[in-house]
Parts: sequence; structure tokens; C-alpha cells
Amino acid sequence: MKIFDYLATIDRRIIYLIIAIVVILPLVFPRPQRVRVMTPTQKLFEAVDSIPEEKVLLIDFDYDPQTAPENEPMAIALIRHAFKKRIKVAALSLYVQPLGLAVKALDQVREEFNARATTNEDSIIYGRDYVLLGWQPPPIVPLLGLGISISGVYPTDYYGYRTDSLPVMWGIRNLSNVGILVSVSGGSAPLWWVAYSQVRYGVMVAAGLTAVSASEFFIYYQTGQFSGLMVGMKGGAEYEEMVAQLDVPGRRRASEALGSLTAAHLTIIAFIIIGNIGYFVRRRRK
Amino acid sequence: MNISTAFWVWVSAFLSLCIFSFLYRDNPFYKFAEHLFVGVSNGYLVTLTWHGVLWPAALRPVLFEGRWWLILALIVGALYLTRFIPRISWMVRIPIAITMGYSSGAAIPAVIQADIVRQVQGTILTPDNFSRWNAGSAGIAWTIILFIGVVCTLSYFYFSREHKGVLGVTSRIGTIFIMVGFGAAFGYTVMARISLLIGRLQFLLGDWLGIIQ
Repeated sequence: MKIFDYLATIDRRIIYLIIAIVVILPLVFPRPQRVRVMTPTQKLFEAVDSIPEEKVLLIDFDYDPQTAPENEPMAIALIRHAFKKRIKVAALSLYVQPLGLAVKALDQVREEFNARATTNEDSIIYGRDYVLLGWQPPPIVPLLGLGISISGVYPTDYYGYRTDSLPVMWGIRNLSNVGILVSVSGGSAPLWWVAYSQVRYGVMVAAGLTAVSASEFFIYYQTGQFSGLMVGMKGGAEYEEMVAQLDVPGRRRASEALGSLTAAHLTIIAFIIIGNIGYFVRRRRK
Repeated sequence: MNISTAFWVWVSAFLSLCIFSFLYRDNPFYKFAEHLFVGVSNGYLVTLTWHGVLWPAALRPVLFEGRWWLILALIVGALYLTRFIPRISWMVRIPIAITMGYSSGAAIPAVIQADIVRQVQGTILTPDNFSRWNAGSAGIAWTIILFIGVVCTLSYFYFSREHKGVLGVTSRIGTIFIMVGFGAAFGYTVMARISLLIGRLQFLLGDWLGIIQ
């Protein structure tokens, strides 16, 4: 039983090394993973898919580089879905840090579509098909103000154009013209949209969440306050797979990561089982 | 293998490795990257606050557009800085009081409606809640489990009576629900942390070293 004594005092750096190897190997030698789409992600997809022509998909980018590996694939998959279905997109952020990531995601998907476009109608054009409204502090201003007037809260967009002069915003006055608001967030922003904007103006809200905050948010999905959820890298992969079935080009980072995610989970489960066996064996010996 | 030749990719990779080096032990490379991150974040925030808020929403309207009444808001905001002058530092209470009053007034009704009323409604045993789970006939079972879980967990946090008899049974059941909740939260936390590691390794092995496509 010396093995359990050894495992109880093992250097944590060896654990890190094992996890690193377990994560790296499936990335270098990928094998196709089957993605089962969960109901919350399916509902979000269906809600976005059914946005009528006269309404807009409002995406709240509220993640920063720390949570980008989880949130960015979700945001990109959402934008691809909207552009493919020719749904108008308006994007904003409640904080300043995510703005650069919002620009990056929107530009990337626009270039993916425009690389395949043959006509002006096929192309994705800023101002006609989407707009980045920008950032207006403090967060309570857009949370309450968008229900009254979007161009009132954002008189100019991120690039300095007058918001109401952009064709994409024609006919889009306030939250009543929003098909669904999806908050892709590494924090609590989706709950604020529910508490302030949904309670007051009745807008449909959905969320793309980091896995660490998922258990806090599911209760709002159960009550119907969230119309759909994407949870963690797995949720991003689910949405990516559904969008890929629409023949949309582009790399699917979350789907590529599922092998590593599965392997790491199995390893940690093994660690927990071994650790518990070792604990009970050593306690019995004493 | 197709190593990146982009300068900023190398900078990003170097800083990622500096941060990862903390897994071995604290060292000057980690400290350098940590301090650089804090400095850059603050610089970014200050710059965007100036260009995105202070200048277009406050100073330009006052100086060039004749909206002089915004001076009042600027003065109240500037009172935050009195914190650094001991003799008049009490004046910082004015903007804090305004902010807290406004925020509380906006938050309290919204939070009561979203976090209490709707959550209680979601726990009540109604046909609407039975069907909301969208799990066919299992919807009723899930809703009853949810109801039992909420009641028992609440009884666990009732400390005005000793946990004996009926209260003892319900609070023990509540403990099971709490443990299941902790387990789910822990599982999700593992998933989140591993996802972040994967994201960085995708960058290092893909965008930087070109080992993966």
C-alpha cells in the first residue's frame, strides 16, 4: 500500500504535467467526436432561427480574454448563424474590455462570408447587415435605456457613424424590435438583462455562459426567463455543429477541443477515484 | 510544423509561457507578465474612457456644443477625487450617495421580480411548470423533485429550531440536494478551467507553432 502513501504526497507539478499531456495529445492527434445537442442550446438555435425579417438579433459581448476560449466560439457561431440566415445583427458591450474581441469576432465572420460571396447581395456589409453599437457606461444606461430608444443610448456606433443613419437600424427603435437578445458573458451580465430589460420591456433573453457560472443560471432557464442557453465549451461546440449543418464555412474551435475536454475530464475523474481509495485505505490502516 | 512569423503572435506566446511558468514556481518572468497585464489593462481602460465617454459625452458638449448644464454632472463626478484631500474628503459621500440611491432604486424592484417572484412561481406545482421541462411525462417528476429540493434545502437553513423530527428529516434531504448542487458546480468548474487551458494550448500549438491546424 506504499503506492497510496506516494500518491498522497505526489508533487502537484506532476499532476499539471499529466493534465498537459492529456490535453495536448487529442489536439495534436484529433479524432472525430460526436456532439449531442442539449435542449437549452437547441432552443437558443431555434429562437435565433425564427427571428423575423423586421427584427434584429442583439448580441451582448461581455467576455474578456480570460474567458474567450469558452465564449468566443459561441459568439462566432451565433454570428455565422445570423449572417447565413440574413438576420440583422446589432452588437454591444456593457464593458469596455470586450469591445476589441467583439470587433475581432465580427470581422472574422464577415471575412469568412465575403471570401465566398460573388455579388453585393451575397456579401456581408457593415451598416447594412450588422452594426457594432459600442459601449455606453454605466451598464444601467443601456440596460434600461434600450427599451426606450437604441439610438438614444448609442447616438453614434463604435466607428463614429450616426446610428440611425445606418440601414441596418432602419425600423429598429428599441427592444420591441429585437427578436432575441443573447448575452455572451463570462460574468453576471445575462442576469442583469433579465432583471432590468426583460422585467420592464419583455424582451426575450438567452445566454452564452462559461461553465463555471452555469449552475447559477440554470434556474432562470427552468423558469423560462432565459429562452435558451449555451454552456461552456461544450455548449459552443453544440451550436457550432448545428450551424455547420447549414453549410457555413469556418473553423470550429470548440468542436476541435472536445477530445481534449473529454480526456481531461476522464483523467480528473480517475484522480478523484484514486484519491478517495487512497484516503480510505490509509484511514483504515491507522 | 509551420511556426508563425508574426511579431505579436510571438509576444503573446512569450507572455503565455511567462504566466504558465508559475505552475513550476513563482519567478521574475511571471511577475513581469503579471505587472505588464495590470498596466496595459489600466492604460486601455483610461484611454477608452477618455475617447469613449469623457470627451464625447461630457467635455465636448460642454466646451463646444453649449450644453453647459452637464457641468453639474461633471462637478458631482469630480467630487470622487476629493478622497485624496483629507480636509474635504467627506464630500466623496455626495456622488456615492447619488450612485447608490439611483442604483438601489433601479435594482430593488427588478431583482425582486426576476429573482424572487419568478423563481417562486417556477417552483409552484402547476401544469405550466410540469410542461416547461419539455421532458414529456418526466416533466411532472422533475418538477416534483425540484419542489422537494427547494423546500428541503430551505428547511436546512431554518435555524430557529433544532433539526429534529420532521425538520431533521427534511434538512437531511436538503443536505443531499446541496451536495448534489456542489458536485454539479465543481464539475462545471473543472470543465471551465480545462477549457481555458485548451484555448491557450490551441493558440500555442496552432497559431504560434503551427503543429495543429
